[in-house]
Amino acid sequence: MTPTDFLQKLQDSTLGVALSESIYMYPIVEGLHLISLVFSFGLILLTDLRLIGLFLPAVPVPDVLQKLRPWLISGFVVTFITGFLLIFVNGPTLMNTWVFPLKLLLILIAGLNAVWFEIKFGRRVNEWGHQVKSPQGAKIAGWISLTTWTLVVICGRLIPYLNGH
Amino acid sequence: MSTFAFFQALQNSEIAVGIGQSNHLYGVVAQVFHITGMVLILASVLVVNLRLLGAGLVNQSVPQLVKATNPLIWIGLLFILFSGIFMFAPSAALYYPNPAFWLKFQLLALAIVVQFTLYRKITATKKPNRALAITTAIISLALWFGVGIAGRAIGYVAA
Repeated sequence: MTPTDFLQKLQDSTLGVALSESIYMYPIVEGLHLISLVFSFGLILLTDLRLIGLFLPAVPVPDVLQKLRPWLISGFVVTFITGFLLIFVNGPTLMNTWVFPLKLLLILIAGLNAVWFEIKFGRRVNEWGHQVKSPQGAKIAGWISLTTWTLVVICGRLIPYLNGH
Repeated sequence: MSTFAFFQALQNSEIAVGIGQSNHLYGVVAQVFHITGMVLILASVLVVNLRLLGAGLVNQSVPQLVKATNPLIWIGLLFILFSGIFMFAPSAALYYPNPAFWLKFQLLALAIVVQFTLYRKITATKKPNRALAITTAIISLALWFGVGIAGRAIGYVAA
């Protein structure tokens, strides 16, 4: 089954049809997707800026990471759920452009970076997080995170322009 | 000159026509700056308001968080203003009959007024009155997120 076939199946499913046929569901889902970016994209920007040393540099890193974490995770949960629903509605046209698979790839890279950071630095954050400067690897993870998530947003915005609509 | 006439004049200006005729991908760049500006402003305001509600970065004082987020708010405003004008000018007259457009700017005006009065006053206090802090947070968040939602609605609401 090709990706296009799979997307067609999603669009033809009960959920896909219900979402497509409602006047309000698409604006609601897309609106929520965008608003949730404040919690996901926004808070991850602040977290990355802390790792890099540009935001609240005097505050211990564990403080920022741990206190923002529940909000960050919730933000990503909503962004991902609404994102999935948008895939259901948009269906096979998503494959008309390379921008959509690229967006998924960038999300994967951002996720892997987050896992790498968590394993290598996150778990020991209390050891290094109280110093003025973060370890180089943590800073790099911050930059990668910031860049990839920004590129994800850019790709997302490009989709409707390049998928033939 | 009526407001509508002004919008028309703006739309017909050389700069606006030039923008309108440019590659659509410039419009995408403008939209990305607009989204990023919105996220910078709202995330900053969110962090401070969460603190007023007793959540999020609770080990930091409110004034400390305001100081840290102010540069981000200014950068966000810069992004959003320039990209906003870029998107508005070429189609100004088309936005005139759109109720979501006017709702957005009314909410924005209220959000800015609250930002420079109530929000500024409450966040300058190290230990603000609890009820006042919560009220400020609710009003500030509702208005700013309202601007974002109304803004998105512009594209969906038929004129």
